[in-house]
Amino acid sequence: MPLLGHLSLWLAFLVGLWGAITGFAGGAPPQGRADLQQSARYATFAMFGALVVAVISLEIAIFRHDFSLEYVAAYTSRNLPTFYLWSALYAGQKGSLLFWATVLSLFAALVQAMTSGRHRVYLPYVAAVTCAVATFFITVMLFAANPFERLAFVPLDGRGMNPQLQNPGMVFHPPMLYLGYISITIPFAFAIAALLSKRLDSDWLVAIRKWTLVSWLFLSIGLLIGMWWAYVELGWGGYWAWDPVENAALLPWLVMTAFLHSVMVQEKRGMLKKWNLALIIGAWLLSIFGTFITRSGVISSVHSFTQSSVGYFFLAFLIVTGTASFALYASRLPLLGAEARLESMVSREASFLFNNLLFLGIAFSVLWGTLFPILSELVQGTKVTVGPPFFNQVNIPLGLALLALTGIGPLIAWRRASVPNLQRQFAVPGTVGGFTALILLVAGMRDFYALMAIGLGGFVVGTVAQEFARGARARHRQYGEGYALALGRLIARNRRRYGGYIVHTGIVILFVAFAGMAFKTETEASLRPGESASIKSPYGWTYRLTHLGISQYDALNRQVTAATLEVSRDGKRLGVLTTEKRQHVDGLGRPTFQPSSEVGIRSDLREDLYVVLGGVVNGTEQAVFRFTINPLVWWVWYGGMIVALGGLIVMWPGGAPAAKQSQAGYAVRLVGEDQ
Amino acid sequence: MIRRYDATLHVDRREFLTLGAGTLLGVVASWRRITLQGPDSLPGTGPSGRLWDPARAGRPLEPVTAADNDAVIQAIEKQLHCTCGCNLDVYTCRTTDFTCTVSPAMHQHVVGLAEQGMTGQQIIDQFVREHGVAILMAPPKRGFNLAGYFVPSLLIVAAGVVLTLVLRRWARTAAPEAAAPRPLAAAGTPEELERLRGELDRLSV
Amino acid sequence: MLELIAGILLAAGAVYFVLRPILRPEMTGIGNRESGNVSEGEDPDDDFSSRAVALRALKEIEFDRATGKLSDADYDNLKAKYTTEALVALRAEQPGAGSRETGGIGAAPSPVSRLPVPACLTHGPRPESEAAFCSECGRRLATAPGYCARCGTGLEHDAHYCQSCGARVAA
Repeated sequence: MPLLGHLSLWLAFLVGLWGAITGFAGGAPPQGRADLQQSARYATFAMFGALVVAVISLEIAIFRHDFSLEYVAAYTSRNLPTFYLWSALYAGQKGSLLFWATVLSLFAALVQAMTSGRHRVYLPYVAAVTCAVATFFITVMLFAANPFERLAFVPLDGRGMNPQLQNPGMVFHPPMLYLGYISITIPFAFAIAALLSKRLDSDWLVAIRKWTLVSWLFLSIGLLIGMWWAYVELGWGGYWAWDPVENAALLPWLVMTAFLHSVMVQEKRGMLKKWNLALIIGAWLLSIFGTFITRSGVISSVHSFTQSSVGYFFLAFLIVTGTASFALYASRLPLLGAEARLESMVSREASFLFNNLLFLGIAFSVLWGTLFPILSELVQGTKVTVGPPFFNQVNIPLGLALLALTGIGPLIAWRRASVPNLQRQFAVPGTVGGFTALILLVAGMRDFYALMAIGLGGFVVGTVAQEFARGARARHRQYGEGYALALGRLIARNRRRYGGYIVHTGIVILFVAFAGMAFKTETEASLRPGESASIKSPYGWTYRLTHLGISQYDALNRQVTAATLEVSRDGKRLGVLTTEKRQHVDGLGRPTFQPSSEVGIRSDLREDLYVVLGGVVNGTEQAVFRFTINPLVWWVWYGGMIVALGGLIVMWPGGAPAAKQSQAGYAVRLVGEDQ
Repeated sequence: MIRRYDATLHVDRREFLTLGAGTLLGVVASWRRITLQGPDSLPGTGPSGRLWDPARAGRPLEPVTAADNDAVIQAIEKQLHCTCGCNLDVYTCRTTDFTCTVSPAMHQHVVGLAEQGMTGQQIIDQFVREHGVAILMAPPKRGFNLAGYFVPSLLIVAAGVVLTLVLRRWARTAAPEAAAPRPLAAAGTPEELERLRGELDRLSV
Repeated sequence: MLELIAGILLAAGAVYFVLRPILRPEMTGIGNRESGNVSEGEDPDDDFSSRAVALRALKEIEFDRATGKLSDADYDNLKAKYTTEALVALRAEQPGAGSRETGGIGAAPSPVSRLPVPACLTHGPRPESEAAFCSECGRRLATAPGYCARCGTGLEHDAHYCQSCGARVAA
């Protein structure tokens, strides 16, 4: 199958090139050529088809253990569990490029098939942009990282997959994140189409509304699964390390989140047109920049693929597309005047602008920190390391300010607010926030940032609760609905607003979880069987861990050394925990990779007990452990679920009852006119 | 459930579903208990046996000493960057990736310096002398590095000030305009206002 | 060998598929219209005509006062302002009724005629009196007989509602 895969890659390349050329040419003024436009649109479908054939060819090669392919030999082995044979598609640089291009072409085809009505005018240009971007990825594959590259000889078995990638989190994290990353291309393509066609009213915003939400949601879920993976697999006992690649994924998320807020100002007031376009272009460029960081090896990171010439392709692409898009943007600036004026400094519009300022500020500081080592080497000639202490110092205050704004923004009316009204709005949430902080202070919490985070969290939750309560009460008074019905309709008829509030609640829970990490405690111990160590939890109780013994056994593709510990808390037995050391082997029993650790975790809502088996002393059962207590870790996962739930509510399609009514109203008006 | 004369059990669909759900709930409820079940008694605390194949458990390690858990040492090591290429600090590296030999060596160095009576800052300075500033997890706050720390915040503050000024100007220029079209409202004829009201009623909120 | 043949066949198929609109241009229009009818149930929030924006603003002002965010003075002020905007938009949309200019929509003065002036939902009344499609966006015009005024779908002869979007048919 490799030959077919290789051929279809070339086919996708040519078709993509054709689609890009005909799309731009067909849409060009004065007339535009319908046949070329249509051909460009068909090219997206053909490109998708060709890439799917390439993916299937690669997967068949992987499943057949065709080690004549360099990629298959480098990332899989005969004894790799089937589950991970699927994810081997994106376990390495080359395969992940193919995966990326395929998903992009899937989105490109979907957008052509699904866009309807008045947004269809943008489609030729959208086809051109998506084809061009996908063609770039295919070019990189064909000329620098071909997944169908053959080896001169056929090895007996492959090297196998990196043990850290053999985790369910790694099966779902990359596709989710890629889906998010890649789907940003669609809003970007619409933005470029709007700029090229000079149709810069709010139509293009409507066309991309669902797509921006889709990519935001996938980015969020991808980031969260990535955090989960890092937490359960990497074994250092945390979920976020400000690693350059994590930052690279966070950057587009921050900019997209800023966009989702500021776009409301354009929809309601016709302001910020320039800003929103710039945000979309910026988010997309950052996603390419993230890819560049991940794949070039310019910045060292745990995630980096091996260093290769691929980086230069991305750098060149980044520079060319960045220059071209902003040049186009600059040439259209005169067409992007605001339709309305700001009515007051104290208004939701203004608060959204400050929200955007903070989001972009955080994005900038993350980018700045990520690039600072390079900058430092250029300017002062010395290498520096920019690690978590730096990022925490710079970003925690900004994050807290943003959290505060999350609570403040929704309390301010659109267009105009007055001081007495604001006082009435702030009374309840402010009290809730103050009380939360006070209670924690009395309970003995002394960490300033944690107090701030949880106190502000209380404030935001107060805001959200008040918004729901007052909204439901207003409906109750206006339409005489019962409170439950009023609340249900309130959410159903304003999914974007109230879904957004639910997302805010999830974000608060995330912040509380992050605050909890300030109270992380850890200790090391070497224990003989029967010996025990204790670790004190920040909640005041003490865990006692007794080493029961070590067992060694073979599993599918690994040799396991498992240590078992009995856990008790303040004398009450909780159960046993197992933590493993895994030596992976290939099909011939030869060791592959260094032994890796498999963490043992005991979770409840308050804290996680996190146990790592370091190794053994002198080949005896005396084992070295690291015990960590990570407070509130599950709040991250629950918070993430609530964020995703809120995102789904926001995205939920159709304006079911509302749409029907307004359509009927429209028709009635027409009847009146005809007479 | 009806037991028929031919001794087959007849179960209707609802009963079947109830049974199924009950079983599922039972399994879920007992799950934690099953998975957490420990041995009946603790093994003896005698001398520990040798592993069947110690090589599988990774690099042989030394027993943990008091210095390894010393809070001061930990605090120092969390400021030092491991040079093995892992991007972690020394403490995290040596307690995470136990295959690394660099971080334990650096740890021993820290412990050695501490035993000579050096303070935390002196130890860190010593490391900087030996390896350069890149050994620190975050650059020291002096010289160009200050830009690293403060450029983002300064930019945000500056942008915030500019934004405030611009918004204020916008709001001020908008104010007279807002007042201007007001008389037009009176121009709405009763029929027009009636129609507007109708449209508003139909637009569900 | 088999793979090579499969690859060549695939390539031939793809090339034919992509070039078809150019080789047989008569296909393009049909293709366009066919897929054009597949309309996602349009969200009323997707309507950005100045009428819809102003109406939504009025609703929101009402709601913000009900939840206590707007003071009465601000409410009166804003209400007056947006009522005016909505009225202006309503008048502009009314075919043949006056020649009031609105900011966003370049409404052309309409010829006096007994026939309704064709108007596009996004681009307002059209200057071409016989037009069936908008000369700016190519959308079927609202007043073209036999087509849905909302989504442009061709209607059954005796339809009371549009089979595609459910809008009531003006008849």
